[in-house]
Amino acid sequence: MPKIQIEESVRSEPPLTRPADPAAQAAEPSAPAAPADELERPAKTVTARNVSLFYGDFQAVADVTMTIESNKVTALIGASGCGKTTFLRSLNRMHELTPGARVEGEIAIDGQDIYAPEVDPVQVRRVVGMVFQAPNPFPTMSIYENVAAGLTLNARRMRKADKDEVVERSLRGAHLWDEVKDRLDKPASGLSGGQQQRLCIARAIAVEPEILLMDEPCSALDPVATLAIEDLIRELKRRYTIVIVTHNMQQAARASDVTAFFNVGAAGEPGRLVEVGPTERIFTSPSEQATEDYVSGRFG
Amino acid sequence: MGEPTRAEYHAELRAIEERALEGLDLAVHAIDRALEAVRSQDAGLAREVVEGDDELDARYLEAHERLLTLIAREAPVAGDLRLISALLHVIKSMERMGDQCVNVAKMIPIAGSEPPADERLLQNVGAMGLQVRSQMDQAKRAFAGRDLDLARDLVRQDDIVDALNRECFRIAIEIGDEPDRREWATAMILVARALERIGDNAVDVGEQAAYVVTGQFREFDDASHPGAPGAAG
Repeated sequence: MPKIQIEESVRSEPPLTRPADPAAQAAEPSAPAAPADELERPAKTVTARNVSLFYGDFQAVADVTMTIESNKVTALIGASGCGKTTFLRSLNRMHELTPGARVEGEIAIDGQDIYAPEVDPVQVRRVVGMVFQAPNPFPTMSIYENVAAGLTLNARRMRKADKDEVVERSLRGAHLWDEVKDRLDKPASGLSGGQQQRLCIARAIAVEPEILLMDEPCSALDPVATLAIEDLIRELKRRYTIVIVTHNMQQAARASDVTAFFNVGAAGEPGRLVEVGPTERIFTSPSEQATEDYVSGRFG
Repeated sequence: MGEPTRAEYHAELRAIEERALEGLDLAVHAIDRALEAVRSQDAGLAREVVEGDDELDARYLEAHERLLTLIAREAPVAGDLRLISALLHVIKSMERMGDQCVNVAKMIPIAGSEPPADERLLQNVGAMGLQVRSQMDQAKRAFAGRDLDLARDLVRQDDIVDALNRECFRIAIEIGDEPDRREWATAMILVARALERIGDNAVDVGEQAAYVVTGQFREFDDASHPGAPGAAG
């Protein structure tokens, strides 16, 4: 199985496998991941083949096969309980954190199976970042420390100047810099909900992941903050592959390039991928009646 | 899937479609009267056709406003979005059909109460009118029934209208040098031209029926690209 290859000239990145000597790696000086003016970058592709997901005996998702294209926004939509969030969490191996949870099938990033025995799940989560439903900044940390937290947790020892640069670049990348540049040392808890969510996005992109997973990132935000996040998502796809779970179909229509519709046939059955395709097609001429019924709100 | 939802929205969409298709019936009524005015050279009846167009215009404005309200309030997608988009085209075609009926009617006073009519040209225009009327009815049935075959057949029907239109032109050219006869023939050419446009409007309605069914937005037959993908037949 080929390893994920990153051009060294672009950025340095740890492999997905466990380091032979973590202490030695942690001691390496780490340069800023990418130049601040680099707005576009080819990101990675995720392929799921016959993926089934279980919680103990209960099968939550059955037989999903799809490709999540690089530098595109893929929206996962479907009614509650259809398995879309479970599938999302399987893309960075968070699903397995639930006791009894397991995965069948294959999920690969640029061809590398992220569930292969030699792969380190921590490194997977480093390459595949996640933004959660409710903004969850570390409340007692400052704005600066919140962004730098990802770097610290990844055992990077950076020079202060390099860290400053990454924090600024990340906050700029999350459309937050101008609003917080004069109060970086203030607690993150003082920010509005929308700002906190953008701070969490800044934290996620500080470590330069390849893929960003977003689990209903706007469900706790007001409409203006929601549109700001959607604008940000459209810009972020120039550097990252983005997968977003949303219950807001208009958000999927506005912000995504590709839409995947998940559905449960009957109570107790696993969720299945009904249809995936370009968002404009899913919202104008879906192939499947179930998709048509769901996106046009014919059934609750 | 759970219980059906958004009942009011879908009821409103059905109601607007009904009103739009009734508008096509109004246009058929208008052409019937316009053709009768031509046949009998009845200036009074022609005036009624002109005045009656207000009802079609009002129907167009009403449907347009209700469709925009649905777009603004309900964010329609998928089949609903296609239907709303198609209805916006259909009501425009309906309104244009009404305008062309007015154009036909307005030629009657020009032609005078006892024009030097040429029977062959009059018959030809009458045949065109009947053919166009049939197409209007067929377009409505194709849309209401989401009938792709019936919709596509409109192109074949329209070829008949085009042939009759060319024949009208040929007869008019050969009508002679007498000024009154030439003036009357010119008026009939304009009548034929208006009828030919109504035939095109009927094809447009058929294209929208096909769009609702297939999701493919294209012309049945592109005169500038004959045989292009999507061209009928």
